Amino acid sequence: MAGHHEDQGAHAHGEHGHSDRFYWLVAGVLAVVTALEVGLFIVNEQHLIAKWLEVTLLLILSTIKGAAVVMYFMHLKGDAGVFKFVFLVPLAFATTLLLSFMALFSEHVGIAG
Amino acid sequence: MAIAERTAGTVSPPSVSVRPGWAGWLSTTDHKRIGIMYLVSAFVFFLIGGIEALLMRIQLGVPDNTFLTPDVYNQMFTMHGTTMIFLGLMPLNVGLGNYMVPLMIGARDMAFPRLNALSVWLFIFGGLMLYVSFFVGGAPNVGWFAYAPLTQKQFAPTSGVDYWIIGIGLTGVASIAGALNFIVTILNMRAPGMTLNRMPLFVWMQLIVAFILIFAFPVLTVATIQLLFDRHFGTRFFLPNLGGDAVLWQHLFWFFGHPEVYILILPTMGIISEVLPTFSRKPIFGYAFVAYSGVAIGFLGFLVWAHHMFAVGLGPLANAFFGAASFLIAVPTGVKIFNWLATMWQGSLHLTTAMLYAISFIGMFVIGGISGITLASPPINVQQTDSYYVVAHMHYVLFGGAIQGIFAGIFYWFPKMTGRMLDERLGKWQFWLMLISFNLTFFPMHLSGNEGMPRRIYTYEADMGWNLWNLMSTIGSLLLAVAFLIFLWNVLTSIRRGPIAPADPWDGATLEWAVSSPPPVYNFAVTPRVRSRRPLWDEKYPHLHEVNGSHEAPVARKGLLRDGFERETPEAMEPIHLPSPTYAPLIVSVGIMILGFGIIYLGDFGLIAASAMLVGLLIMAAGILSWVRISHVDSPHHAHHGI
Amino acid sequence: MSESSMTRPHAAAAHHTSLGVDNRKLGVWAFIGSETLFFATLITTYFVFAPVNRMRPDFQDPRKFLDIELTTVLASILLASSLTMVLALSASKRGDRRWFATWLLATVGLGLAFIGGQVYEFNHLYHEGLTLSSSLFGTTFFVLTGFHGTHVAIGVIWLLAVFFKVRAYPDSPENAMDVEIAGLYWHFVDLVWVAIFVLVYLI
Ligand code: HEM
Ligand SMILES: [Cu+2]
Repeated sequence: MAGHHEDQGAHAHGEHGHSDRFYWLVAGVLAVVTALEVGLFIVNEQHLIAKWLEVTLLLILSTIKGAAVVMYFMHLKGDAGVFKFVFLVPLAFATTLLLSFMALFSEHVGIAG
Repeated sequence: MAIAERTAGTVSPPSVSVRPGWAGWLSTTDHKRIGIMYLVSAFVFFLIGGIEALLMRIQLGVPDNTFLTPDVYNQMFTMHGTTMIFLGLMPLNVGLGNYMVPLMIGARDMAFPRLNALSVWLFIFGGLMLYVSFFVGGAPNVGWFAYAPLTQKQFAPTSGVDYWIIGIGLTGVASIAGALNFIVTILNMRAPGMTLNRMPLFVWMQLIVAFILIFAFPVLTVATIQLLFDRHFGTRFFLPNLGGDAVLWQHLFWFFGHPEVYILILPTMGIISEVLPTFSRKPIFGYAFVAYSGVAIGFLGFLVWAHHMFAVGLGPLANAFFGAASFLIAVPTGVKIFNWLATMWQGSLHLTTAMLYAISFIGMFVIGGISGITLASPPINVQQTDSYYVVAHMHYVLFGGAIQGIFAGIFYWFPKMTGRMLDERLGKWQFWLMLISFNLTFFPMHLSGNEGMPRRIYTYEADMGWNLWNLMSTIGSLLLAVAFLIFLWNVLTSIRRGPIAPADPWDGATLEWAVSSPPPVYNFAVTPRVRSRRPLWDEKYPHLHEVNGSHEAPVARKGLLRDGFERETPEAMEPIHLPSPTYAPLIVSVGIMILGFGIIYLGDFGLIAASAMLVGLLIMAAGILSWVRISHVDSPHHAHHGI
Repeated sequence: MSESSMTRPHAAAAHHTSLGVDNRKLGVWAFIGSETLFFATLITTYFVFAPVNRMRPDFQDPRKFLDIELTTVLASILLASSLTMVLALSASKRGDRRWFATWLLATVGLGLAFIGGQVYEFNHLYHEGLTLSSSLFGTTFFVLTGFHGTHVAIGVIWLLAVFFKVRAYPDSPENAMDVEIAGLYWHFVDLVWVAIFVLVYLI
């Protein structure tokens, strides 16, 4: 079944002409990145690299994963702008929430407030 | 002059049968009926909330009073706040929006009519559940913001808090579903030519509010779920003695809570942006500024939440940030105020009741805004927080602002919704009485607050120096009640005997005035084609087009019709297809409500509660099944075409 | 009613909408936006309490409890289910009923496998002494991952509903969109797991 191209371009948006082969490829990349993540985690149990570096690398890797899911599986890449708006704006709010709460609570460790 | 009238003969009647009587309401999917259901039930809740307020005012009228016990007093202020915000103001705004938004953008209904019905039912059931608490051990008594750890089981042992959680949980789901509906309707169902930049400002504000809502409510939902787990399932999110954090509750609550106040006020800002131009006989001054300052307010509204928490001691950096951000919000707010003033400037003002309310909105809202600014300064706030000064502030914005704005909207749109005019003479009595008694009630609270009277005390001693202020407030509140009774009387009599309303009683500019009053089920026989921001004015007064709208008349440049919108009947008309009535949303909401009852008692009566939950889920499943079926039958492909 | 539908009657599935996108798809995307904040709040709570947990006498170390192998399997299952989901959509768009049913049911199966794995994990942790009330880690971990699991379960029900609806009305032109929006939700739930996987299990 791989290799099938879609070519009903009836809809105004949302048709991206990705083949099944392409989806398998994306899944392959996702698998490799996941393997890298887990590998990094396991290897660095010996503290080969600094913790902050490990965390940064892990965050970068999983951002790649997330972006691939959103862009290709959810077809956000190339889809109508309004979809990007209603997803990316709350994502920005969510990030703000997380970061600002971490900042606000960073000085309060161990005491309730 | 309505298109509906002129073309009615050529239209095949909509392929929908409205069931008669109660069945029609229980199974409706018509946005206009749903709007009215929102308005009526919200108004009932509003009156109940008002009675709670009166009871509190009677208790506080004189010192050392024993009219209410402390515990009942606590229940009263909790229920009053929760009711007014979640069951009064929000759904009143949603109701007006539901009725008007599709009409204003030239659509036949909301994007998801069945989801719309689900929203209204969930809101009603959520409100009822909150009130069930009175009969099963006592209403919640922890304040509308339910600070931890007071809400924990050892301090609030009755199930009041649980009903609070589930009640606002249901209304929260209703709100999110409703907001999604507004977003899709407004973005995607505008009539041809109705670009974003031509949308009525009321529609703009509803759109912004819908976005605020879907971003802010999930945070409250999570916080209340965590609270529920604390109370029943052994977690410790907000239990300081076990490492939990009471301040986290405050942060989460206000991350939702401040945007929430804009959810309440922005739609009413939209209302007066419709009312002021109509009765000033002038287009709104600075349309784009009004629209985009709304967007700015929506954004900034997410960055100021901790100004409710200055007394916590967040540290100088956080205080400075949140104080400054709060000051910043005053800028877009001020922009709007000046736009409204400039709109009235040199207009020929028609002082109808709606207009009076709109004007008085500006005045009272400015007072509330100014006290807001003072509160936003951390050092000043520490003096005034938790005092009656805050109560004064919030009521100037919520009553002087939101409620008056809603009254402007009700007097403006009542003829459209019912086909009858409200009595203007009674309306003016109501307005003046309300304005005076509102100030009599709430202005003294600035003073008692500054003299140190704390919020949420059930009584005070005679020698505190607060007696006069409190007595004034209590007298004012009783007069306010009279004003509401006048309104109720006005509605009840006018709806039967009021003068018949023409399609366009106020000489309005927006599309809802193009159809009959009340509008036909299908709203528009022919979807209008919009060519400017004020389609009706441009049509009625083509010669004014240059004066009023030349800066935005690319239409004229292109040599097209100057007309505000087109209303010719095309030769071949497609049948109008409207969603069929269905009980499915009602059934699903009943299921969800039963599920909610189950959740409340799951911790204490595991087996019974679990079976109730199961029953709820089964009812939900049945409802969803019939929902899917009817939506398939109704789908546009199935029955040709129709929005 | 709209220009396109009057001049070009019945252009295939061309709903006329202001933005030219499907109403339901827009609604689901906006819903996903809202859900983003739902999970962000849960994750935020987890992070606020992580350092507090570490300083408490009843501290329970996530690293001691969480089993990286099991989690990796679960993460792979969900990622694989995203692949089968998108293949189901692709089959549905080209009208290939057999492959559509295969891939969709595969997705459902993987979803069920994930839930099963999570039940196993929770059970295991419980016996190791990690509960909702054993520590701040227990409190935050179970509520966060539990709500994710609930979303997976809802997703499974949604997918099954789509499967049966498509079976009942095989020729409905709505089918592709039904599949697409259920898929969007499904991928989103997967996306949340991508975040939880790294933030809770790896960091
Ligand atoms: C100029 C804009 C505004 C500013 C700077 C502002 C500032 C503040 C501050 C600092 C507080 C906290 C007072 C305290 O508890 O110590 C407060 C409370 C409050 N504000 Fe505003 N406000 C503004 C506008 C509004 C608007 C437009 C509304 C609603 C429509 C509103 C509704 C409320 C409510 C309900 C409370 C009390 C919440 C409670 O403690 O129960 N405010 N405001
Ligand atoms: Cu605020």
